Amino acid sequence: MDLIKPLQSLKVRIMLIKVCGLSEESEITELANSGIDMLGFIFHKASRRNLNYDEAKGAFIRNLACEKVGVFVNEEFDYILQTGFYFSLTHVQLHGNESPGMVQALSRYFKVIKAFSIHSKFDFRVCDLYPSADLLLFDTKGDLAGGNGTQFDWKLLDSYQGDIPFLLSGGIGKNDVKAIKEMNHPFFEGIDVNSKFEIEPSRKNIPEIKTFMEELNKSISKTRKGYYGEFGGAYIPELLYNPVQELETAFERIKTNEEFKSKFKHLLRDYVGRPTPLYFSNKLSEKHDATIFLKREDLNHTGAHKINNTIGQILLAKEMGKTNIIAETGAGQHGVATATVCALMGLDCTVFMGTVDMERQKPNVQRMKMLGAKVVPAESGSKTLKDATNEAIRYWINNPSTFYVIGSVVGPHPYPEMVAHFQSVISEEMRFQLQEKTQKMNPDIIVACVGGGSNAAGAFYHYLEEDAVALYCVEAAGLGIDSGKSAATSHLGTVGIIHGSKSLVMQTDNGQIIEPHSISAGLDYPGIGPLHAHLIKSGRAKSIAVTDAEAIKAGLDLTRIEGIIPALESAHALAALDKIELKNKTVVVNLSGRGDKDLETYLTKLNLAENEIE
Amino acid sequence: MKLNKKNNCSIFLTAGYPQLNSAPKLVEELENAGIDFIELGIPFSDPLADGPVIQETSTIALNNGMTIDVLFEQVAEIKMNSALPIVLMGYFNPIYTYGVEKFLKQCKALGVDGLIIPDLEIDIYEFEYKALFETYDIPLIFLITTATPVDRIRRVEKMSKAFIYLVSSSATTGAKASFSKGQIQAFERIKALNLKVPIMVGFGIHNNETYRTVCNLFDGAIIGTAYLKSIANKVSTKAFVADIIG
Ligand SMILES: Cc1ncc(COP(=O)(O)O)c(C=O)c1O
Repeated sequence: MDLIKPLQSLKVRIMLIKVCGLSEESEITELANSGIDMLGFIFHKASRRNLNYDEAKGAFIRNLACEKVGVFVNEEFDYILQTGFYFSLTHVQLHGNESPGMVQALSRYFKVIKAFSIHSKFDFRVCDLYPSADLLLFDTKGDLAGGNGTQFDWKLLDSYQGDIPFLLSGGIGKNDVKAIKEMNHPFFEGIDVNSKFEIEPSRKNIPEIKTFMEELNKSISKTRKGYYGEFGGAYIPELLYNPVQELETAFERIKTNEEFKSKFKHLLRDYVGRPTPLYFSNKLSEKHDATIFLKREDLNHTGAHKINNTIGQILLAKEMGKTNIIAETGAGQHGVATATVCALMGLDCTVFMGTVDMERQKPNVQRMKMLGAKVVPAESGSKTLKDATNEAIRYWINNPSTFYVIGSVVGPHPYPEMVAHFQSVISEEMRFQLQEKTQKMNPDIIVACVGGGSNAAGAFYHYLEEDAVALYCVEAAGLGIDSGKSAATSHLGTVGIIHGSKSLVMQTDNGQIIEPHSISAGLDYPGIGPLHAHLIKSGRAKSIAVTDAEAIKAGLDLTRIEGIIPALESAHALAALDKIELKNKTVVVNLSGRGDKDLETYLTKLNLAENEIE
Repeated sequence: MKLNKKNNCSIFLTAGYPQLNSAPKLVEELENAGIDFIELGIPFSDPLADGPVIQETSTIALNNGMTIDVLFEQVAEIKMNSALPIVLMGYFNPIYTYGVEKFLKQCKALGVDGLIIPDLEIDIYEFEYKALFETYDIPLIFLITTATPVDRIRRVEKMSKAFIYLVSSSATTGAKASFSKGQIQAFERIKALNLKVPIMVGFGIHNNETYRTVCNLFDGAIIGTAYLKSIANKVSTKAFVADIIG
């Protein structure tokens, strides 16, 4: 299960690197392929790096798919325009005394970088005259316009108060890594390198550039590890720094460890009963005129997907020599799965659960107790999943040697990544099962309910980079998205921090977290995992909201037409089928759990409905 | 803000508790009682690092209608009448939602002396916010614990402009035992680092004994839960402070 790769490619790039003064085709190709953000070509006769080109080179540059910058010094507008079009440049960089009007005119056709030569008397207010520039470039003042290979005092940049991002340029070499990393100006966007990485003018030292890039990115990717786009991170009080760090190190160690993987696989097969079937539902397929499969996570031991994750995390806890396990739970499925694996492995187990959830998911409370776990009622706030999570985190702060098994792809890094990693077995199986049944590699559509997002993360995981597979996150709309009684986070949420990570959060204008509502305890959460926040924000996944009533109906329908009683959470995913264009599509619905725990809720609604008919 | 004397005593109170407009009056009482600086807590719905007492005061404060804007009005009022340094303490989400820059700008305008944001982790601060804090010249006060690795403490030392907040034990706020031998030894290890920045100790300081212990080693103590409890129990500020300082 080396499944982490697809997630890593979703990371943001954070420092822009431009290499300027290029000419050699082989060098250009290599740089374009190695992740350099911008390639720069100089169009200035007086420069030793002026681009000499013929028809063939023109075509070569035109066909490059990356960001291409043309550098000009006091040229006529028409010349810049023609050159830009000829090479299909994305950016023009102006190094002379070009006027604000010129920049504005060119900005209609290209992104414009306005360069300034910095010296101790430079007045940064000049930059304010160029509001239509996309980027500024700060270079050293010297005799030659367009780059002198020497550095200016970067401290001078403290006086730049504008709000256009800038690139740093002028004599940057391999010894500047540290200084660059220490640059903390809020509008510092990246760097521009040239002469310090040359064998001779225009001939670049490619290996050196690559090493330099790696050096630069090394510590950056460390601080930015655990992000999906802008979401994720570890917003934790210092009290949790050591425990989280210890967990991250341990997780990194087992991620690719063969012995660990084999233990995990073995337990999933012989104890949990995996692989779970991919069941072709004739009735649903007929109803929607599509090919619909149910991924039967309800058939796992303990009745939901949650156990995939608890096996993984508790195996890890064992590796780390932990003896006390804590967990939060909403629907009680994660609590039961944690208590189960703790019983199996002989570990102490404490589960935090909101008192509202203890009432509506009684059978699971009884199961946990029977399994030997201590169930601690969470009485604060809305007395549901959010509050259970708060209590678990507080307990962890007070008992830092405990192992906290989070039940979804939420919480501080490394939890979202780790839970997704363990749940990814769902889509790993879907791949070969689907091929066996349909000879197709990929479904057209995957539908999963999202509380925190763990079953969805597992079902999407191996398809994240297959853009042809449409991904649907189904959220709980409660009594209706705008009813004030809802848990539709991606519809109602704004960017914020919840339980240690930056994500979408249902909150007031004052940044206070709103107490959500859903009939389904597992979806009754005001946040969503950072991965899903990113997938939805970036358009990779769509989100659909399903009301309590729609979910109940879909759950009862499946019970009667297929003889499968789904968990209320999973019933939300089923109800979403009515809201997606499915005709002739191959669809997988992740049936995350079974509905035994929800019988009381279902039966109450069923009796009501039948009484109405009478 | 400069802490250049010994035995500094700071009090934490939740803004908006017990009444929406209590803070200015309480601060005045605290100043008269000889407190050295104030930490005003911005209430949050989900205060993860806090025990039941501060959770409860936060809930009451929010129900009373406390918001960041209201708090700023109260800070302005306090600053008009008092020279006491004011540090604001709050979880990151309300500040993030308010807008970090807008928040810092307001702090600067009102003369706020420092900020404590327990869940703004050091790496994130350094990577995303340090420059902004420096632009507005608002010191962020970092928390360390006795378990924080030394190289991390050194980083904190370099970035600290006011003081370092040493959390006395691995616990949420409101623990109230006396310090164990192990804890005292851990304090002494921190003391031996000879940090160039003053150290204030908080979490679990609730009586004269705990106050004395930390003042003997460090630059002062921060008291929160015990004070909020005394408000609920209708103990006068003067009597409470006298009891602690001794
Ligand atoms: C059966 C079932 N499905 C879904 C969920 C929602 O969690 P997640 O979004 O992490 O899959 C739960 C949570 O309790 C659950 O029990």
